[in-house]
Formats: sequence, structure tokens, C-alpha cells
Amino acid sequence: MALSSIDISTEYIGEIVESSTSQFTSESRELNGAPPFGSFVKTLGALPVYGLVFNVCTHSIEPNRRATAYGLTEQELREEQPQIFELLKTEFEAVIIGYGDDRGPQQVLPPQPPGIHSFVFPCTESEIKALTNSGDFLRSILCGNRLPADDLIIASVRNAWAARALDMPYLVSIGKDLCRLIRDDYDRLSSIMRRISQ
Amino acid sequence: MLDYGLLKRQVDQMAVDASTLQDDFFARIDLACSEMDRWEDAWKTLGIKIARSRTSWLVAQLGGPITEACPRPDRPKELTVIAADGSQIFPDRHEVANCFLINIGYVVIHYGTGERPVLNSEPTLFYDEDDLYQEWAGKRSPITREVVGVRRNAMELEKVVTLSALAHAEGRTCVGLTDGTLILWMLEGKPYDFRRETLQTTLAGLERLRELRVPIAGYISDPGSADVLNALRVGLCPEQPTNCDKCPWKAAEAQHLLDFDGDSEPPAPIPCEPIAGVTDDMLYARRLKRGERSGVYRSASKILEDYGPHRICFFYVHTGWEIGRVEIPEWVAKDRELLDLVHATVVDQVDKGRGYPVVLSESHERAIVRGADRDIFFKFLKDAFVKNNIKTEQSLKQLKKMAAAV
Repeated sequence: MALSSIDISTEYIGEIVESSTSQFTSESRELNGAPPFGSFVKTLGALPVYGLVFNVCTHSIEPNRRATAYGLTEQELREEQPQIFELLKTEFEAVIIGYGDDRGPQQVLPPQPPGIHSFVFPCTESEIKALTNSGDFLRSILCGNRLPADDLIIASVRNAWAARALDMPYLVSIGKDLCRLIRDDYDRLSSIMRRISQ
Repeated sequence: MLDYGLLKRQVDQMAVDASTLQDDFFARIDLACSEMDRWEDAWKTLGIKIARSRTSWLVAQLGGPITEACPRPDRPKELTVIAADGSQIFPDRHEVANCFLINIGYVVIHYGTGERPVLNSEPTLFYDEDDLYQEWAGKRSPITREVVGVRRNAMELEKVVTLSALAHAEGRTCVGLTDGTLILWMLEGKPYDFRRETLQTTLAGLERLRELRVPIAGYISDPGSADVLNALRVGLCPEQPTNCDKCPWKAAEAQHLLDFDGDSEPPAPIPCEPIAGVTDDMLYARRLKRGERSGVYRSASKILEDYGPHRICFFYVHTGWEIGRVEIPEWVAKDRELLDLVHATVVDQVDKGRGYPVVLSESHERAIVRGADRDIFFKFLKDAFVKNNIKTEQSLKQLKKMAAAV
């Protein structure tokens, strides 16, 4: 999607605060407003980068100040301790599964990491379809470092399936890809397959 | 570099000395409490005795029974609490440029509405000749740390006043809080023009708040003051009127010390001495229940003679965590609605902040300039000077501090 067709001021969901060629971390625009685990996100620019959210956390903005329990509901906290919401932030991490060039989304790592302070947007359905038309994104997940690989596969496949209106033949083809990738661990494979279709 | 061996011995001795001192302390507090009860009905007599006294210590001026204790009033459900705190980088003639920085942290928290609070800070750099050198009583000298501190206090108050005026214009019920005393006692003995200029700024701010009827209060945690206890000491004094300069017991004691033969009888103890050393917070820790405040007293600080209608009064409050001292201008003290608002706000703020008013700790967090910030500030300075091709020099002393050779 071209930069000009997006209203940046209202549609971005995060801003990159740490970046490498394989992963990036974004600060969520709203507290507790991170995209769901396993969702597809992108940055814009000359080479848009596509990622898969694998971790979301909310914590204090200052390293020496920890959040403590107040015993109040969120509504009570907003009325009686409103400052704490200004002292917390939500961050999400994404593993990079591809980038875009003039041919469309490519399922390889980008030549350069996305820029720090780039805005992050959710992917459109057509982008999700293009990124998941083969099982290559599953390999990116399985090869990634410190990723919750099984749960990330389950969540991302369910999102890719939903983008195709729960098309059964697509799920079968992804299942075949998974069989090839995890063929040496039957228990793991069957657990993933069972949980995808739950 | 510290010699731990030498230091440890001194620390141990200090602890031994402190524990010996504490031995008769509880008896002193007991006596102070019973003295307080003794004046419960005759507080007006005590008030007159205080008004006529001349003492070497600050004595609270009574406005009601000395045993008064008021329960915590309800806080309005919707309330805006405003605070400002400052910090600074002092002028340092060993650094690249002669200047100083004051950073004012401020917060505006709206309670009961769910609105987003304002938590912010605003740095101001001072580098003009007029800021760096000041001429008081015809004498020109570089600005001192003390003067930077006074300027910072004035800026804190100014910020609270501006934010209070804004909140008031939005139709909100609001209270301004500052960290520490509202009494500019440090001006005592300072050059007349410096004193006048500082007072004018402070009093103009207080006057603006009075016009808007927005109460302001200074919160003092762990107060070491003994104004109320000193009132009880006046009560113990048999002299009419009390005049410490003409104290016959002190004179007898001095005479006894001069008696080198040791023939004379030991002098009678000074009558006010048995409760000396007790502070007001120790006294009120016995008297007040959680949330309660003491009566309101007028402070006898000499500088307050220039405060006019803003003369500072104070009360003590049991916050549930400690006995805090709250200072307010007289127009707040005399307006029961504003006084109750301050009382309720302070207790609620300390509850929320778990020991210290949350607006004050948050404004402090915003104001604070840490070591790393200081380094970045001086890096900005150096970079800007280099970029603009201005010759700068750090003193040899500063360079030596950065790399001391062995």
C-alpha cells in the first residue's frame, strides 16, 4: 500500500524503538493497544518490512520504577490514580518474515532493518494472503531465535486461514507443509495440528 | 576516598551516643503531653503568655485550644491537584560555559473524572549577564547556589499559580501543593533589595491564588520543627512575662559555672528544660489519630511580618504514615471550606502516594536532573559551542577530575 493512501496520524498502531534485520520492537501507540499475538504487521517506506508479532509486554516507562498492586479496578484506578497510566507503556516484538519490493511481498529478510521511529501498521488481508501463500513463513518461525514457535505457528496459521474465509483446502496445504517441516517429531506436529483446527 | 576503618569507629561512637540520649526521651514526651492537657481549657491564658513572651526559639501562636484535633473531612469527588517541583544544574565556572539550568517538573492530576493527567517538565537555561551576576546593596557578585535555589522556588510557585488559574478557569475545584515550607526564612539577613524582590514575586503569586480562592499548601515530611512544643515551654516558664534573655535560672547556671572553688549549691534546673528536645511530630504522634489534623497555628518567623494577608499558618496532620506539617497562607486558614479542602487533599494524596503526596513525588520525578542528564546537557553545550566556532575552555581542575594520573 502506498504511503499516501494511509492516514498515518490515525492508523498506525506502534512505532519502532529497536530494530534489526530479523526482529523489531515497537512501542504501542495506546497503552494495552498492541496488535494480537500472531498477527501480521508492516512498516511503510521504500522497502516495507513485514513481521509477525511474537511478544507483547506492558511495563513501567522508567527502569527504576516498578508497577505495584493497588487493589482497585481499572475504572477506580483511572479515577483515583490516573497518573499510573502515563507511567506505563506497551511494547510488542515482531519477527521479520519478509519485505516488499516492486514485485510485492518477498518472503526473505530485508537488506536493511526497518528504520527506528518508523510507524507500524496492521497488514491488510491481501498482504496476509501474499505472505502466507506458501508455507515459507512457517520456516521463518521455526528457524527464529527465542520464539514461542509452536504457539506462533498456531496463531499465524489461524490468521492466514481467517484471511481466506476459513478456506479448507488452504488449511490442508499448510498442514502438508507443517508435516514436511516437523516430520521428525510426531507428538509436536499432532499437537500443533490439533490446536490449529480447534 | 574513604578510610572505612577510621569512619567505622566514629559511626559506632555516634550510635552509642544516640542511644544514651534516647533513654529519657519517652519521659519527656509524656511530660509534654500532660502539659498540653493542662492548657486545654486555659489556652487563651497560654496564648496571652506567648504573645507577651520573648524567646530565643520560634513559638507557635495559638488560634484555638492547643489540644484541638479535627477528623479528616471528605474529599470532593471531583478534584484537581496541582504541584510543581524544581531541580537545577548550578553555575560551574570550571565548565565550558558559565550558565545554569532550572528544570521545573509539574503535574496536574484530575481525580474522579477519568481524564488524563498532565505530567511534564520545562527546562530554562540562564546565561545572560543579568542572570549570572547580581547586584544587591550596591555589591556585584556571581550568582550563588542559594540565589539559584530562591529563583527555583519562585519558578515553582509561579508554575502552580499559572496552572491553578487555568484549572480554575475551566471551572474545576483545585488545590496547589508545593514541596517544603512556604516561609522564605532564608531571606532573613539578606540584602534589602534581594529580599524585597523575592518577596514581591512570591506574594504576587499568593495574591493571585487568593483572588481565585484556590488554596495552596506546603507539605513538609518528617518535620523537625518544635513550634508547638516551644509554646508549652513558655507555659512551663514561671516568669511573667517570659524573657529568655533575662532568665534567672540560666543566669544562676552561668554563675555556678564561674564558681571555680565549687562551694556554691548546684543551681535549680531551668523550668522549661524537662520537655526540651521533643519535636512537634513526636508530640502529635501521641495525640492525633489517623487522618486527624491539629489546630491551626500562626508561625512566628520574623520574615512573615512582610507577608501581609499571606502570613503563613500551619497544622500537623496524621497521614497514616507519619506526622506531616502543612503550611498555608492565613486566608486559607481562616476560610473553613478551603482549610478542610487542604486537609482532605493532603491526607488523600499521602494515601495515594503511600507515604508521600503523589503529586509531589510525581513532580519531583519530572523535575529531577540525574547525572546522565547533566552529562548530556554539557555535551549539548560543548557541541553547540564547537559548531558555532566559539572558543571554550574547561578549567584545568575539571580536566584533572576527568583523568587523574597515577
